[in-house]
Amino acid sequence: MNRLQPVRIDHTVSDTLAEIKDKVCACIQCGTCTGSCPNAFAMDITPRHLWRMLLMGQKDEIFTSRTFVLCSSCYYCTLRCPRGLPLTEAMSDLKQIAAKEDMIPHRPSTRFYKCFMDSVRRHGRVREAEFISTYFLSMSATDPLLPLKYASMGIRLLQKRKLALKNPLQKMSERSLDVVFKKVEEMENQI
Amino acid sequence: MIKKIGKALVVGGGISGIRAALDLAEFGYGVTLIDKASHLGGILAQLDYQFPTNNCGMCKMLPLIDRDSSSQYCLRRGLFHENIDILLSTQLASVEGEPGKFQVTLDQKSNPVDPSLCVGCGKCIQVCPVELPNCFNEGLSTRKAIYLPLPHAIPNSYRIDGNVCTLCGACVEVCPTDAVKLVDEGRKKFSILIVDDELIVRDSLKEWLEIEGGFAVEMAQSGQEALERLKEKKFRLMLLDIKMPGMDGVETLQKAKEILPDLHVVMMTAYATVETAVEAMKIGAMDYLIKPFDPDVLIPKIVKIYEELNVSAGLTLEVGAIVLSPGNSYFNPADGKDTLGYGKNPDVITGLEFERILSAAGPYEGRLVRPSDGRPIKKMAWIQCVGSRDFQTNADFCSNICCMYAIKEAMKAKERAQNAGYELDAAIFYMDMRTFGKSFQRYKDLAERCGVRFTRGRIHSVLPDKESGNLVVRHASYSGKISKDAFDMIVLAAGQRPALCTSDIAEMTGIELNSSGFPSTRPFSMSGTNQNGIVVAGTFAGLKDISESVTQAGAAALLASRVIHASGGGLALESGPAPIYADVSRENPQVMVVICSCNMASGLSEPEKLAENIKADPCVKHVLFTDRICTTSGWENLVEMVKKHHPNRLLIGACLPYLYARNLKALGEEVGINPRLMDVVDIHTPGFSDVDSQDPEYFRSMTETTLKMSIAKLKYADCASSVHAENSVFQQALIVGGGIAGMSAALAIADHGFKVDIVEHEKELGGNLRWLETTIEEHDIPSFLADTIAKVEKHPMIKVHTQSTVIASAGQVGQFFTAIEENEAPAVINLEHGVVILATGGAEAVTTSYGYGKNKKIITQKELAQKVNADELDIRSIKTLVMIQCVDSREEPRNYCSRVCCASSIKSALQFKKENPEIAIYVFYRDMMTYGFMESYFTEARKAGVIFIPYTINKKPVVTNENDSIFITAFEPIISQEIKIEPDMLVLGTGIIPTLPPSLAQTFGIALDQDGFFQEAESKWRPVDSLKEGVFACGLAHSPRNIPEAIATAEAAAQRALRILGHEYIPAGRISSTVRSSLCSLCERCIDTCPYGARTLNEDGKKVLVNSAMCQGCGLCAAVCPNSASVIEGYPMEQMLEMIDAAIL
Repeated sequence: MNRLQPVRIDHTVSDTLAEIKDKVCACIQCGTCTGSCPNAFAMDITPRHLWRMLLMGQKDEIFTSRTFVLCSSCYYCTLRCPRGLPLTEAMSDLKQIAAKEDMIPHRPSTRFYKCFMDSVRRHGRVREAEFISTYFLSMSATDPLLPLKYASMGIRLLQKRKLALKNPLQKMSERSLDVVFKKVEEMENQI
Repeated sequence: MIKKIGKALVVGGGISGIRAALDLAEFGYGVTLIDKASHLGGILAQLDYQFPTNNCGMCKMLPLIDRDSSSQYCLRRGLFHENIDILLSTQLASVEGEPGKFQVTLDQKSNPVDPSLCVGCGKCIQVCPVELPNCFNEGLSTRKAIYLPLPHAIPNSYRIDGNVCTLCGACVEVCPTDAVKLVDEGRKKFSILIVDDELIVRDSLKEWLEIEGGFAVEMAQSGQEALERLKEKKFRLMLLDIKMPGMDGVETLQKAKEILPDLHVVMMTAYATVETAVEAMKIGAMDYLIKPFDPDVLIPKIVKIYEELNVSAGLTLEVGAIVLSPGNSYFNPADGKDTLGYGKNPDVITGLEFERILSAAGPYEGRLVRPSDGRPIKKMAWIQCVGSRDFQTNADFCSNICCMYAIKEAMKAKERAQNAGYELDAAIFYMDMRTFGKSFQRYKDLAERCGVRFTRGRIHSVLPDKESGNLVVRHASYSGKISKDAFDMIVLAAGQRPALCTSDIAEMTGIELNSSGFPSTRPFSMSGTNQNGIVVAGTFAGLKDISESVTQAGAAALLASRVIHASGGGLALESGPAPIYADVSRENPQVMVVICSCNMASGLSEPEKLAENIKADPCVKHVLFTDRICTTSGWENLVEMVKKHHPNRLLIGACLPYLYARNLKALGEEVGINPRLMDVVDIHTPGFSDVDSQDPEYFRSMTETTLKMSIAKLKYADCASSVHAENSVFQQALIVGGGIAGMSAALAIADHGFKVDIVEHEKELGGNLRWLETTIEEHDIPSFLADTIAKVEKHPMIKVHTQSTVIASAGQVGQFFTAIEENEAPAVINLEHGVVILATGGAEAVTTSYGYGKNKKIITQKELAQKVNADELDIRSIKTLVMIQCVDSREEPRNYCSRVCCASSIKSALQFKKENPEIAIYVFYRDMMTYGFMESYFTEARKAGVIFIPYTINKKPVVTNENDSIFITAFEPIISQEIKIEPDMLVLGTGIIPTLPPSLAQTFGIALDQDGFFQEAESKWRPVDSLKEGVFACGLAHSPRNIPEAIATAEAAAQRALRILGHEYIPAGRISSTVRSSLCSLCERCIDTCPYGARTLNEDGKKVLVNSAMCQGCGLCAAVCPNSASVIEGYPMEQMLEMIDAAIL
C-alpha cells in the first residue's frame, strides 16, 4: 500500500457489499475482534482493519486481502463483539462473494471448497483421490504447478494409507447426498 | 427556628438524598428522609477518596448558615438536622394522592438490637458463630450475623442479619445491657400448621420452628385432620406435604383455601414431585421446600416469609412532594459470558471493590495487596466499559463516571505504592476517555504525566497464567499489532444498572421508565418526571458523579419545593420561642463533672483519686460517676444529677462526644444552662491511644488531663446568654443574564413568592437558545423558549431589565446593593437584594484553526445550525461533509471539554443522513463524549453510515485550500493510511467559552477559574456556590452544559438562594469572631485570610466588620492578628493558655 500518497476515500460501496456493510455499520473499532481472533497472526490485515475498509468502500483492497479466507469460523469475535455484530457471518459472506465471482487470487481456496463439497455431494463423504484430482484439474489454468506443492503431503498421506485410491471418476454412489444438496439449493432459491 | 408547614419525603439517603433533604430543610420545610440501609451515605459510605482532591470533603455540604441547626461533624458518620426526620431501614411501601397532598406508607424493618441500649462493646461479635462475606467491603472480608453495617456511623449500633442468623442466642447471653431481643413477640403469635404423614418430619420441624424460630407450631398428620384444625383456629402459615395417604397435598390445599382464603401455604416435597409443587403454586401455594430439610436453610426461609407477611404496620405520612433518590445498581461482570473471569479469579475485581482495598477501613487496611495471595501489587490494569456500551449485555449507554474513577484509582494506587517505596505500573484500557466534566481533562493529563498508561483498546478476555498467577490480557493496537500484557490485578469498570427497587417504585408512583429501565425525565428537565410532585435525583435516573448528583439533587429539591409551595405549604411561618437560659455571668464558675465509667472499668483503678485531683480546682463543685450516658436511661440519670446539684457549667467525660449535641441542647432548654457552658470530652480514646500501655496509672493521668483541659475551657466560656445580632435579609434576588439558565432560576425563585430582577445586556431574553432548533432527542427548542419567556414576562414577581448592565455592587449575603445601568436611556437603577445568581452564559469559541475564515465552506457548528434554521442549506446538494471535533479544545490553553459539541455533531449528522441518505459524513474526533444515554445516538449515527475517524493531538487533520476546494488530509489509524477527503463543507466544533466578564466577577467579589468560568466553592460538594455566600452561578457561566443540565444548575442555584431568601433574618452561628477595634491596627490581614469572605472594611475604611452569618468561627483571623484584636467570642486567650497548661503540666 502506498503510504505516501493519501488515498481518496469514498464510502459508497457496490450492492454486493452493501448488505455486508450494513451488518458491520455499527462497528466502533474497539478491536475486540482483532484481539480475539486466533488466526489474526496469519492475516495480512486484521479483522478490524477489514471492517474499516468495508465502511470506507475499499472493495478492491478487501478482496486482495486473504483475511476473510483465513477465518476459521470459531465465532470468538461474534461472541465478544460489544456491538453484537454478526462478524463471522460477514466473513463468510465475503467468502461467498469471492467464490461467486470466482476471483483469481482466492481460487485456491474457493475451488478447494467447491471440489471438496462436490465429492461429498457425490458420495456422502470425501473421496480423497477424486477430490484432489478434480481440484488440480480445476486449478490447472490458474496454477499448473499446484500438484507439485501438494506432492510431499500426498506421499506422506499415501504412506500412512490415508488416501483411498478408488477410481476418481466413479459414478455417483447410491448413498449420494445429491437429494439433500438439491433441497438446500431449492430452499436457498426460495429465500 | 422558622418552620413551614410543608413537608417532603426524600427516598434514599445517599449524597443526593442528603443534599435534597438539607436544601428543603434549610428553606424551612419538614423533611422525612428514609433509606433502605441502616445508615446514610449510600455508596459514598464506601468511597474514601474523590478526585480532583483525592480526598473526601462531604462535610462541606453541611449548612453554613444557621449551622447550629444541624450536626457539624463528618457527614459520612451521620447527619442530624432540626427539620429532618431520618428513618433508616425503611422503604417506601405505597404512594397515593396528588401533588401537594401525597399519602405515603413506609415500611420500617425492626432491629433485634435495641439502639438505645446497645453500647457498642462488640462482645456479641466475638461469640456469633455465623460468618459471611461483608458487603461493606464488597465481600473482600467477612462479618458475623450480628454486625456493624458501617464501621464509622454515629450513632452506631449493631444489627442482626435476619436472613442468616441461626437464633442461637449467644449474643443475647453475652450482651451486658440486654440490648439484643432475638425472638420478637410477634413470632409467638404467628401460628404455623405442619401437615405431614411422617411423624419424624413433623416432630423435627416443630422442634426447629418452635425452639429455634420462636413460632407457635401445631401439627396434623393428614389432610383431613389439617382441614379440621383450620376450621378451629386461624393459622397464618401451613407447611403442607404433597404425598400423603388419603387426601393429598394439592387437594388439601384447595380445600384449605376454601376455609381460610388468607392462609399462606408452603408445599413440602421430595425432589421427584417438584413438578406437582410447582403446579400447586398455580393454585395458591406461595412457595415450596424440598426434602430433606436443612434447618440452616429452612428456618431463615420461614423467618423471611414471616417478615414479609408481618412487616411493621406501616407508618403513614402526608407529604407535599416526593424526591426519589434511591441510587442505582451495578452490572455484575460474572453475569453472562464473563470472558474477563470475574468471580472465577479473585484478582479480577470491580472498581468498587478496589475502592475498598484502598480504604484504611477496608479488608487490607489500605495496603495494596492481591486478594488471592496477599502479594503486593506491582502492575495493575483497569478495563473500562464492562457492561457499558455493550449490546451483548443490553447496555446501549455509557456509565458516565467510570473513566474518571479509573483515573482516580490509578493515581491513588500509584501514590500508595510510592509511599510503600516502589513504582506501580498502572494501565487503563479504554475505548473513549470521557473526560467531559469541568476540570476532568486536566486531571487526566495530570495522570498521564504521573505515568498512568492510557491504552486505547477494548479488552475482550483475561486469562490467568498458571505459573505466575498473573493475569494476561491480549489487545490489538490500532495498527493491528497484537500485544500481551500480564498484570497482578485487574479492575473492571462495572457499568450502571437501574436500582433494584426501580420497577417497584415506578409501579407505586407511576413514573415512566426508559428502555434501559431507568426513570425517564421530562423534556428539558433533569429531575422532573411525568408525575407532578414526584421528582428524581442522583444516580436513580442514571449514574452521575458527585457534583452532578449534588446539582441535580438541588434541582429536584427546587421542583419539590415548588409543588409544596404551590399547594400552600410555604405560606405559614411558625417560630418557636427562643430558649431562656439563666444569666450566670456574675456567678463564679461551678463545674459539675460527670464521668461515664462503663468504658473505663478495666482501665481506671482508683476513681476516687481521679475525682480528688480534679476537685483540686476550686471551680469544680462536683465529680460524679455514672454508667452508660449514651443510653436513654443513662442520660436520664444525668439529667437528674444536674437538677439535683444545680451547677452552672457541665462537663461530661464519655466516648463519642458527637453524639451529645442534640441532647445538650434539649438539656439546656430543660434546666436553663446555655449549651455553650456544657461540654463533652472523649476520655476513652486518649487513654487507649497508646495500645501497649494498659497501665492504669497512665490511663488515669490521660483522663485527668483531658478533663482538666475541658474544665479550663468551660471556666472561661462566654456566658453571655444573648445571641449575635441577626442579619436582616432583603428577600429578593438579582439574576444577571436572561438566557435559559437565568430565566429558569428567576422563575424558580419568583414561584416561591420572592421578587426577582433579571438584568440582560441584550435586547431580548433567550440567550443561546435563540439560535437552537432541536435537541438531540428532537425536543422543540423554540416553543420551549417562547413558553419560558412568556412565563417570565407575565410573572408578577419578575422584573426584566433588558439592555442593562451591572455597574457596581456592594454588600454581603442578605444585603446587597447593586446599581444597574440601562444602555438605551442612560439611567442608573439601584437594587437591593439578598442574593445574586450569575447566569451570564457562554458563547461559541472563535477560531483560526483549520483554515477557518479562508474559505466559506469552512464554518462552525453554530453557523451550521443557523444556516439550517434559516433554510439556507440545500442538504440534498451536499455530497460530502466533514466535521472536526475538539477544535482548540482539550489542549492548553482551553484544556476542557465543552460537552455539547459531540452531541451536536451527531444531531446534525443524523438530521442530514435522514434528509439525504446519500451524503457522506466524516467526523474527526479525539474521544466521542456521548456520555450517558446519549450513547444510543452515537450508535444510531454509526448505523446511519456516518464514519468516525479518531485523531490524536499530535496528528491532527490538515485542511488545505486549493482553488475553491478544500481538502482534508488525515491519518486513518486503522487502515494505517493517509486519507484525503474533499468535502463540500467543513464544520468545526469549537466549543464553548464563558462570557462572564472578570469585572462583573470582581464586582460581586467572586473568583473565576483559569478558563474564565465561575469558580465554585467546591467542585463536588458545593457546585453552584461561590466562596462568597449569597453569590451563585448557573448555566454556561458555570461550565459547558447542554440545556437540561444548564437548567438543573439554575434550579440548584435557585434552591441555594431560597435558603437565604426564605428567612427574614439570617441567624448567626454560635461561634463567631469579632474585632476589638481599639486594638485593631487595620493591617487587613484578617480580611485576606478569612476563607468565607466574612470580613470587610466599613465605609470610611476605619473599622473591620464581621458578618456573623458568614463567619464560620474557624479562628484563622484570630491566629493571624498581630495585636490580638481579632477574637473568637467565647474563646479568650486566657482560656487557651490555661488549657495548654492543663495539657502539659
